Amino acid sequence: MKKRIFLAGIAGAGLLGGLGFLAYAWHPAIADITPPAASSFSAEQVERGRIVAAEGYCAECHTRTDLGGGPEFAGDYQMKTPFGAIYTSNITPDPQTGIGKWSEEAFRRAMHRGISRDGGNLIPAFPYDHFTKMTDQDISDLYAYMMTRPAVHLTHRPNELPFPLNIRLLQAGWKLLFFKQGVYQPDPTHDALWNRGAYLAEGVAHCGSCHTPRNLMGAEKSGSTYDGAVVDGWIAPPLNANNPTPTTWNEDELYAYLRNGVAPLHGSAGGPMSPVPHRFLSTVPEEDVHAIAHYFAFVDNAAVRAKHDKDALALAMNQSSVDLTHPVVDPDAKLYQGACAGCHYNSAPTPASGRPELALNNALWLDEPTNLYQAILRGFTAEEGQAGVVMPSFYNALSDKDMARLAAYLRRTRTTLPPWTDLEKKAAAARATVETIPVNSSH
Amino acid sequence: MGKLERIAMQQDRADGLKATRRSFLLTSAGSAFLFGFARKASASQIYPIADGAPESGAFEPTIWSSVSPDGQININIIRAEMGQHVGTALARIMADEMEADWSKVQITQVDTDPKWGLMVTGGSWSVWMTWDLFRQVGAAARTVLLEEGAKLLGVSPAQCIARKGQIIAGNKSISYGDIVQKAHPTRTFTPEEMAKLPLKPVSKQSLIGKDVKALDIPAKTTGQAIYGIDATLEGMVYARPKLPPTRYGSRVLSVDESDAKKVKGYERYIVIEDPSDTVPGWVVVIASSYPAAIRATDALKVTWAPGKTASVSEQDIIDYGRKQIADKNGGVYVFNDPGTDKAFSSASKVFEQTYTCASVMHYTMEPMNALARLHDGKWEVHCGNQWQSLFLPVIAKALSVPEKEVVMCSYLLGGGFGRRLNGDYAVAAALISKALSGKAVKLILTRSDDMQFDSFRSPSVQTLRAALNDQKAVTSWQHHASAGWPTKVMAPAFMEKGVDGKPYDQFAIAGADNWYDVGPMQVRALSNDLAEATFRPGWLRSVSAGWTSWAYEAFMDELAHDAGKDPLEFRLEHLRATGRNAGSAPNAVGGAERQANVLRRLAEKCGYGKTNLPADTALGIATTFGQERNMPTWTAGAVQVHVDRKTGVVTCQKIWLVLDAGTIVDPDGAAAQTEGGALWGLSMALFESTKIVNGNPQAHNLDNYTPIRIADAPEIDIEFIKSTEKPTGLGEPGVTAIGAAIANAVFNAVGVRLRHQPIRPADVLAGLQAKTAG
Amino acid sequence: MIKFKLNGQYVSVDVPEDTPLLWVLRDELKLTGTKFSCGIGECGACTVHVGGQSTRSCITPVSSVIEAEVVTIEGLDPQGQHPVQEAWRDIQVPQCGYCQSGQIMQAACLLKTYPDPTDEQIDGVMAGNLCRCMTYLRIRKAIKQAAAAAREETPSHG
Ligand code: FES
Ligand code: FES
Repeated sequence: MKKRIFLAGIAGAGLLGGLGFLAYAWHPAIADITPPAASSFSAEQVERGRIVAAEGYCAECHTRTDLGGGPEFAGDYQMKTPFGAIYTSNITPDPQTGIGKWSEEAFRRAMHRGISRDGGNLIPAFPYDHFTKMTDQDISDLYAYMMTRPAVHLTHRPNELPFPLNIRLLQAGWKLLFFKQGVYQPDPTHDALWNRGAYLAEGVAHCGSCHTPRNLMGAEKSGSTYDGAVVDGWIAPPLNANNPTPTTWNEDELYAYLRNGVAPLHGSAGGPMSPVPHRFLSTVPEEDVHAIAHYFAFVDNAAVRAKHDKDALALAMNQSSVDLTHPVVDPDAKLYQGACAGCHYNSAPTPASGRPELALNNALWLDEPTNLYQAILRGFTAEEGQAGVVMPSFYNALSDKDMARLAAYLRRTRTTLPPWTDLEKKAAAARATVETIPVNSSH
Repeated sequence: MGKLERIAMQQDRADGLKATRRSFLLTSAGSAFLFGFARKASASQIYPIADGAPESGAFEPTIWSSVSPDGQININIIRAEMGQHVGTALARIMADEMEADWSKVQITQVDTDPKWGLMVTGGSWSVWMTWDLFRQVGAAARTVLLEEGAKLLGVSPAQCIARKGQIIAGNKSISYGDIVQKAHPTRTFTPEEMAKLPLKPVSKQSLIGKDVKALDIPAKTTGQAIYGIDATLEGMVYARPKLPPTRYGSRVLSVDESDAKKVKGYERYIVIEDPSDTVPGWVVVIASSYPAAIRATDALKVTWAPGKTASVSEQDIIDYGRKQIADKNGGVYVFNDPGTDKAFSSASKVFEQTYTCASVMHYTMEPMNALARLHDGKWEVHCGNQWQSLFLPVIAKALSVPEKEVVMCSYLLGGGFGRRLNGDYAVAAALISKALSGKAVKLILTRSDDMQFDSFRSPSVQTLRAALNDQKAVTSWQHHASAGWPTKVMAPAFMEKGVDGKPYDQFAIAGADNWYDVGPMQVRALSNDLAEATFRPGWLRSVSAGWTSWAYEAFMDELAHDAGKDPLEFRLEHLRATGRNAGSAPNAVGGAERQANVLRRLAEKCGYGKTNLPADTALGIATTFGQERNMPTWTAGAVQVHVDRKTGVVTCQKIWLVLDAGTIVDPDGAAAQTEGGALWGLSMALFESTKIVNGNPQAHNLDNYTPIRIADAPEIDIEFIKSTEKPTGLGEPGVTAIGAAIANAVFNAVGVRLRHQPIRPADVLAGLQAKTAG
Repeated sequence: MIKFKLNGQYVSVDVPEDTPLLWVLRDELKLTGTKFSCGIGECGACTVHVGGQSTRSCITPVSSVIEAEVVTIEGLDPQGQHPVQEAWRDIQVPQCGYCQSGQIMQAACLLKTYPDPTDEQIDGVMAGNLCRCMTYLRIRKAIKQAAAAAREETPSHG
């Protein structure tokens, strides 16, 4: 959801530099204002704004997490790129370092068009390609919410992008090619719930930012919407009918997942997805979450695909236990027994709560073992996945070879898909993405 | 004299003690002082006991027990508690004889003290070696209490009986506590007097043979039980070793601590100097917490000049053993009956097979650890250990101090299985503390350290040969066995002498000296010195009988099949209680006939010979005498296995065991030990093993070492033969029959004979293929 | 300072975030009933409950349990009379006992999911708990006995 790398796009923009283009790229600054008093916004409006902010996960990218963390919305969140880090902006109402001097008009222009108050283009790491779909009302509420946050005086560290990637003006090229401005227009062939879901998903919730693959220029590929993509070393799985899990992501599963972080027949939200339910969607009106779930159940064609669910579930449950409850000599199965089965064993007919069933989990059915490896290496804190419950970190416990054995074993016993390749190498690659070793255990 | 008594004598001699130890042990005066409770607080740490030690005023007829004025009875236990509930078993022997009220009995696991005599726990000896002593001690206490009680009741002793903590005369009675309080008895006994005391007849025994709840169990269900690893001392620091590339001969060339220093909590490293050569080449990291020690040890860079064994492999050791066996010279004969050579030279056929067993790790659940410090002029080493009498002197030597300045404090053992007969880890902890000027330091080995440093079971090679006459009857027998010898490496003074007077390790051959009547026998033990140079061979549950019986019981089956005989009948024919196998009192009354008896009973129980088993499924049997001729536990085992021809996987579906261990003191504990033993045997037969690679065991944790787990455990049917003979051991016999029974069952199921333990699917598949090809 | 709930009460510890929960419990908070054995999450000796779910504390960073509820063998039942503990004593399950805190914690969690467990369910859920003394047969038996006792106590579950 966060840290998506836009470098290709930025580089592409650089190539488009040219004089004629400058004319297109130039925008006027919008005049400073004196920061409005918090009392100038009604409590109702601020509360509506809070919901919008939560549905857009603003705090996730606008709060520093390294250096011991930072104040909420004060920015300086580090997004790593191969060319150097970029740092997010302070969106608290601090007049010098934040958006205190921004008028609502300037704020709306940034959301709808990706232009800073001073007229510069914003790096499209800021997903204005989605926010452009938001209604004026939602933006106005969001403005009210942001302007009533505590002002924090904090200047983000300078971006480390080399020339010419650091020229903001050049971002305009990207915009020219890929950005389509315009508020969401309801689809009259669908009902209100569907349209609400689509509005949220396509707009403020910017689901496509992570779940749609990007082209070489870093823009979401048209024609591949929701096909799944790699984010922060994890795979954001397809949200459409290409999703490979054996049971369908139907409306109930989606709702449970988005609201609580756990879908009984799929597993729990980990990695970059974890904050979506836990930090944000658990705090918004449940109708909105229902709407998003309803919309994606349409996107992934659940109604048609669900007729296989019963058989798929039965098969998975059988696979889950078949080689664990009889004497086992396969060393890979033994490894699984020791390391995993105590928590992941399930008995027919359905997985028990708190025992995520791997035979049903995305992690085993995706084209790559990426998410499986990430979960094994990092584990889940009490905050992530199923709330209050943890998965330990096997970073020091399992070698790359051990992880490869487990991955191969699970893929061959718990899916009907072809084996993964190069498992040990990929384990090492996944390990390399873990910067701080989660746990100091022995081996 | 039993083996243990011999060992005790040898050790007494080593200690410069005279044969009067026993009288010393038994005549210490009963008095108002605590005696034998060197360390009340920590001893009672083991199991939280309401009031740890007897109050002042206790009556102590011997050092082994006391009766307090409040009636509480304390029994001192010098044997390590590692799961056998040994304290409960031993205390009950004494309490029964003493007519104690069991609810008032408590046990104390004592620290080392010369007065306790030989402190060793192994070989399934504990009950057997304590039986006579504790009955006499109990009788002594009862005698005094009865006399004093009679006086207080104003009747003659003849009018009194002792029952459940009371002396009763008609309708008058007085409790043991009251007797102690009022009469202050102080009488003590000489061994001669004790030996004359009347013992209760078997029919009057009230605790022996009855189910009594083990005293150590409750604390083990609530997290209160204290193991060595749980010991703490004020201000202690933590240590983890950085192990050298070879067990012996590695020299530290350089140490780079720059990365280790970055670990918060890292304090320093120490290059260990060890005059006892127990932990040569060790570098140790000291840190303020154990996680810091773990990480700093990983970060510390040490370069060693490795010892000579840096490239030795398992195969090298096996090959070396084969060469030793092929050489007629060398080794030590345990049996070398006249006529063997002649029988072989005149045989019409010699039947010969060679059997091998892989390295097996102890993997005690509690990794090796010890806490040491210098306190009040004494070096304290806190840890669980099985052979304090052997290692306390080594610690003293390592520290260069007299033995009396060392005390080993006892804790529960999170598994022994023979690993903690070797106290090398305790030596290391003491040396580390010495390097820190006596500061309290707790050494813990991580699992991978523990496995690399294990005194694991040596790989072994055995060749069996039988001379056959025209009728294919066995006329003579040879058993040659090569393995690393643990006793030679760790306790050479305790080796036995062979028929030719040369010392040999009884724990690297016992079992091969079996009770079959097969004509003149040769049993030859060969010390695999390549193994001994590469690692420190250890005693592992069931010691050599875990592998010698695997060989000779598979060989018996092979001989039977070769002769076209039923393996059960064939065995029974050769179990004749004559000559050497007639047996003797007190330990082996009945001899081979008792072994035949358990085998017959087993056959009945398991439905031997039944023909309605599914395809590729069969029974296999084996019989042993536990592990030592001197203390036979007559054992017969059967297994039912299924062999999957596609995968080669052998599944053990059921186990039957019939044992005759004499009197069963603790039936439930006996069953528990036998269940555990049987599964240990199964685990070694089908699941666990490692191999030596570059001088070290390849396995370093559970990702590549695979003992059985719960789903692998089949149903087990155990029967003990009712007996009033002297009790023998039960900790290990359950292990001994399983391996061969499985090999025999696999043969019966699919016709493939496997001679390497463990039996792996690939071996089965190769065997099946060879059969089809052949 | 890292804060979490331990056996019903909040505790705070000042340790590095990557410290395994196991060593925090054993060395900082002096609850030594939870044991160290393999250190790699494959033996179960270190099992505690986090959020009611059995969890290997040896490889769980203490930072993972911030604000979570941790229960150790010492806190499973205030009197040590959890049905699993009772059954364990009655059947005399422990031998050396070193694995048993973990076995008991795992079994207690098992019974929450499977109040009337079959052998297969027991074998599946207990697969990760090694017992080197091989008390497996008694573990199976004791779990069934504990399950029966627990069902009697709370008939609604029966
Ligand atoms: S010590 Fe944690 S699972 Fe083994
Ligand atoms: S009781 Fe000893 S390891 Fe389980």
